Amino acid sequence: MLELGPLLSRAFQALQSWVILHGVPPLAAWILAKAIQVGVLVLLVSLVPMVLVYAERKVAGFMQARLGPMNVGPYGIFQTLADGVKLIFKEDIIPVGSDRLMHIMAPMVVVSPVFVCFAPVPFGKGLIPIDLDISVLFIFAISGISTIGVLMAGWGSGNKFSMLGGLRGAAQLVSYEIPRVLSVVPVLMVYGTLSLKSIAMGQVGLWHGFLPKWFIFYPFIGQLAFVIFLIASVAETNRTPFDIPEAESELVAGFHTEFSGLKFALLFLAEYAYVFLSSAMAVALFFGGGDGFTLGGWIPSWFWFLGKTFAIVFLFLWFRWTFPRLRVDQLMQFCWKFLLPWSIVNVGLTGLMILLRK
Amino acid sequence: MERTLPTLIFACMAILLIGLSLIVVTARSVFRGAVALTAALGVVAALFALLGADFVAASQLLIYVGGIMIIMLFVIMLSQRPLDHLDRQTNEQWVWGAFFALAISCALIMQFRAVYRGVFVTTVATPTTASIGRLLLGDMVVPFEAVSLVLLAALVGAVYFGLDGKDRT
Amino acid sequence: MTLSLHHFLMLSAIIFGIGVYGALTRRNVLGILMSIELMFNAATINIVAFNHFLYPDKVWGQGVVIFVMTLAAAEAVVGLSLVLAIYRNIKSVYTEKLNLLHG
Repeated sequence: MLELGPLLSRAFQALQSWVILHGVPPLAAWILAKAIQVGVLVLLVSLVPMVLVYAERKVAGFMQARLGPMNVGPYGIFQTLADGVKLIFKEDIIPVGSDRLMHIMAPMVVVSPVFVCFAPVPFGKGLIPIDLDISVLFIFAISGISTIGVLMAGWGSGNKFSMLGGLRGAAQLVSYEIPRVLSVVPVLMVYGTLSLKSIAMGQVGLWHGFLPKWFIFYPFIGQLAFVIFLIASVAETNRTPFDIPEAESELVAGFHTEFSGLKFALLFLAEYAYVFLSSAMAVALFFGGGDGFTLGGWIPSWFWFLGKTFAIVFLFLWFRWTFPRLRVDQLMQFCWKFLLPWSIVNVGLTGLMILLRK
Repeated sequence: MERTLPTLIFACMAILLIGLSLIVVTARSVFRGAVALTAALGVVAALFALLGADFVAASQLLIYVGGIMIIMLFVIMLSQRPLDHLDRQTNEQWVWGAFFALAISCALIMQFRAVYRGVFVTTVATPTTASIGRLLLGDMVVPFEAVSLVLLAALVGAVYFGLDGKDRT
Repeated sequence: MTLSLHHFLMLSAIIFGIGVYGALTRRNVLGILMSIELMFNAATINIVAFNHFLYPDKVWGQGVVIFVMTLAAAEAVVGLSLVLAIYRNIKSVYTEKLNLLHG
């Protein structure tokens, strides 16, 4: 009843026919409807990181037995807004010996792919901006473009330490992409499709009447795949315990030392948007994305999707304040010598399971 | 309008691609050339999507932009001197190089115009992932396995060349 | 003015020509490697265009293109590790310094 999907699609059809009635060609009407959807998506992806920054500081505070931001607004809810305004008004410094063009373009290259990556994510029934047949591969491919931005940021900073920080960051991002992609392969093998919407729809229903048909409940392969995906996503988004490239006490904040003001805000926004994207992907792939008891239609699917996504985002935030930081060689060893073999073993075990099921 | 939108998109992408390729071959700073090459590879991926090859477009972004260009940027960052961008980047045989390049491309263009002018197709784009999967494990399984051996050889070779002198026993 | 096969083929010919110019005239070894990547991409555009226009219901061209991309990746990796080894020895990546075998 509260399902937004059918409601929104009917609203967009009505808008298109009204516009066509006033003499606009059908293609332009379709572009207008898509442009409004794109605008809503961009707005959502820009606002959710602001909420996440506030949530992180509050969660950090409560885990450290203190209150977190409390001054700006009731319980400090306008803290992120104040931070944003402060960053916009800061002076934009470009170092003298650096490549100006690279310095200006680096935050753009880091931030733009994340908006595109949200297009095939199924936010609920009928609430998917565009249903691609290759959505999982599309998301992984486009998020690889941000790594180029990290390298450009390291080069454009003009000092050797930031360049090393950029190189380290890019090495970490490229290394952890492999277990991340391989850990998703079992899901693709079982459901036979790369489309996130079909994978989420394939997990609707109950085993024996009480266990949801989510991938995470598959014996051993579900949990292993989810754990590897979670750890690799934490490393991909440069969160602690893997945040050597950007921690404040390491290499003087690494590749984003020389970025001040709005550029730093954009890099920050990219990190939290990627956290939200990784959680949304994990929910759609492993947790059924939008599946859950509906109480006779009163709890809509997008509520379940967002609820599960924010639960996994809470996991990301929890990791940050629980584990100490890994050194860069421990980080690389962990990826290549532990996560990669186990993800390959996972693919093999899934193949075995599919064979035995027939 | 529906027939000219793909043409318009193609024209924009073609101009962008040619401009970026010219930056790649004439930039004084090799880093800028590499970033222009990354953008050019992204435009080529968009061209693949325009041609209805969705899996190949995503693979192009994943392999080229997310893999090869990152390694190339790594090596550029590790091997540049501070005053490199003040040298000229073309050697003294550039006249012959330009002549050969023009000759090859003009010959190809004239031949393509003569033979393949006016070949149209009106099919709707269908998803290709399942067909490519069946092809790779069906008719093309021998090249598939051979390529994995080539990748193993490349991996071992790259690691060997990256070792220091005393590790190479 | 509908999109036809020869538009894509002409574009790939132009990019191939630009790649040939770069490979023949750049002084920097990495510049030569980048021009070689441009030539690879021109060829792949060609193959996928042929596949789409002449054989729309088959995917052989796209399968071949996946192999081309993989082999280009392998070649780029080995070439770049060679460049790193060269840089470690003679501290330069310019082609006129690589003349040990010069007569």
